[in-house]
Amino acid sequence: MSVMLQTQREPVELESLKREARTRVSIVVVLSDSAREIGEVVAGLRHLAEGLGVPYEVLFVDDGSHDGTFDRLAVEIADWPQARAARLRARFGEAAALAAALQLSRGELIIYQTVRVRPNPRDLRRLLERLESGYDMVIGWRFPRRDSLLNRTISRAFNWMVSRLTGIRLHDINSGVFAARREVLESIQFYGDLNSFLPVMAERQGFKVTEEQIEQMPGWFRQSRYPKEYLQRALDIITVIFLTRYSKKPLHFLGFLGAIFSLAGLGISGYLFFYRLFGFGAIAGRPLLLLGVLLLVIGIQMISIGLLGEMIIFTHAREIREYSIEKLIGQADGTLP
Amino acid sequence: MIELSIVVPIYNEEGNIRPLHARVAAVMEQIGRPWELILVDDGSRDRSPEILEQVAAADAHVRVVRLRRNFGQSAALAAGFQVARGRIIITMDGDLQNDPADIPLLLRKLDEGYDVVSGWRRHRKDKLIIRKVPSWLANRLICSVTGVKLHDTGCALKAYRREIIDRMRLYGELHRFIPALSRIEEARIAEVPVRHHPRVSGKSKYNMTRTYKVIMDLLTLSLLLKYERNPLHFFGRVAVLCGVGGAAAAGVMIAKLVRESGDAAGLNILASLVFLLFAAGMQFILLGLVGKLIVALGDRSVPFRVVSRRGAGA
Repeated sequence: MSVMLQTQREPVELESLKREARTRVSIVVVLSDSAREIGEVVAGLRHLAEGLGVPYEVLFVDDGSHDGTFDRLAVEIADWPQARAARLRARFGEAAALAAALQLSRGELIIYQTVRVRPNPRDLRRLLERLESGYDMVIGWRFPRRDSLLNRTISRAFNWMVSRLTGIRLHDINSGVFAARREVLESIQFYGDLNSFLPVMAERQGFKVTEEQIEQMPGWFRQSRYPKEYLQRALDIITVIFLTRYSKKPLHFLGFLGAIFSLAGLGISGYLFFYRLFGFGAIAGRPLLLLGVLLLVIGIQMISIGLLGEMIIFTHAREIREYSIEKLIGQADGTLP
Repeated sequence: MIELSIVVPIYNEEGNIRPLHARVAAVMEQIGRPWELILVDDGSRDRSPEILEQVAAADAHVRVVRLRRNFGQSAALAAGFQVARGRIIITMDGDLQNDPADIPLLLRKLDEGYDVVSGWRRHRKDKLIIRKVPSWLANRLICSVTGVKLHDTGCALKAYRREIIDRMRLYGELHRFIPALSRIEEARIAEVPVRHHPRVSGKSKYNMTRTYKVIMDLLTLSLLLKYERNPLHFFGRVAVLCGVGGAAAAGVMIAKLVRESGDAAGLNILASLVFLLFAAGMQFILLGLVGKLIVALGDRSVPFRVVSRRGAGA
């Protein structure tokens, strides 16, 4: 994913933005149009970060704000040497902001939050502690959640559905707050809105994922949900089923649907064929004939598209690595060719 | 320089790892070429991980690859291949049913100039009804669909030249079709009869519930084997079928029009049928074109044939 970046002063090469020193923790904050609360956020994070007692860095990623967030931010972090801010040239969305943050940050452990969630900084520390106790990814679970009743209801339904479909046991899958080891994020391809499903993807790769309750700061929260977004959610669920279960085997999925349609079509057409053959009457005028042929055609097309999907996978199979190696023991320990 | 890499996927085989290592080591010492044994722990839940670490610590020939969870046999093999350094790669099951003492037989066959040599369990030591019969049926089906004539495609004991492994696309559950996958890469394939022992320790991971997946994978492979370079030929045939059907419906419709024997509703339905079939035909042609595009953009490497026929030990 290529993201256009612009720094506080001049546009700078990405490489020079990276910290050379070994950094243990990167705190990543994604914000957009958050000028009002930025002061409070910076103060809270600074208090948290300085209490961690490990080398850290803080990276603010401004996802195309229009309300002067970036300028306020530059002022707020001017006397905080561990903090940096990057601005995306336009609003690219949270997945892009996270990708940019991964590029720019160095920490082995990453604490990620979007400002809209307003987590209590105190709780972020607990996420980190869970990571250090052996988990690879810890999702923040907003509890109690500060949001409208509609949002809470839909979110609950969404989380329940994703749990059922993917088998992941989490209450708040896309809370917008998590902590993860860098390798987890680097081994997942995230694009579009699929960052909502990071924990699902991480678990597919064999990483250990858990959750931890976080408190949301009182007061302001943004009403940013539109019906369109809920529709998007529903489509995302289909995408995730496809990606987690069938991404390497499209025909296993489409072949099943196609077989059902084809068999139904074949049954109807066969019935009509014998009906005509044994002289029960004409079939040309029967709508059933049209239905039978239609089902058959749709079924075959589904199978064909499944086959085409298989061709795409097969053609690119040498670039796909569907397993994830935890460690290598023996000669040349730990290095992969 | 490692010459022989033996890749063995391990899934809950705590009782078999040490004897397997001992037998492989004994055979390899006899062969006397530089070797390595790569044990891929495919997310075992028993004591296999610690035993693997101990075995690796005791013998420098042993390398252990641990996967983060159970990814399945194809992925485990692919992981082992990724790590393997030998010019010849030998695979076998971790359940001791294959006999490492057969490895020299496979190597001798490779030396004759083949790229892949598959074991043939002539006298299988498995239960007749639940293992041998389904296996025999599956073998017949796979052979007739893929056109790769082997007696025993399911035997895990196989030897490959590195060039084939590097080109082979192994993912999903395609490990069942490795001979066909090698055929797609233009490999020359042979088989030799090998010994087979009954399982002594651990449980069989075989089950019969995967028939559907096998059939779907076979469908894919049959398409790829015949039309990998030109899917348009495949989809074109389906399109022609649709076109013929559409033309037939059009013929009936015109006959009815001429003879004025059809009622209006009947003619409407026939006309719809004609349109439907022609539209479907067009779509199949378009699918074929997209397929061509995928193939053209996907793999820019020149289709090649392994020409190096130096002996495997040369």
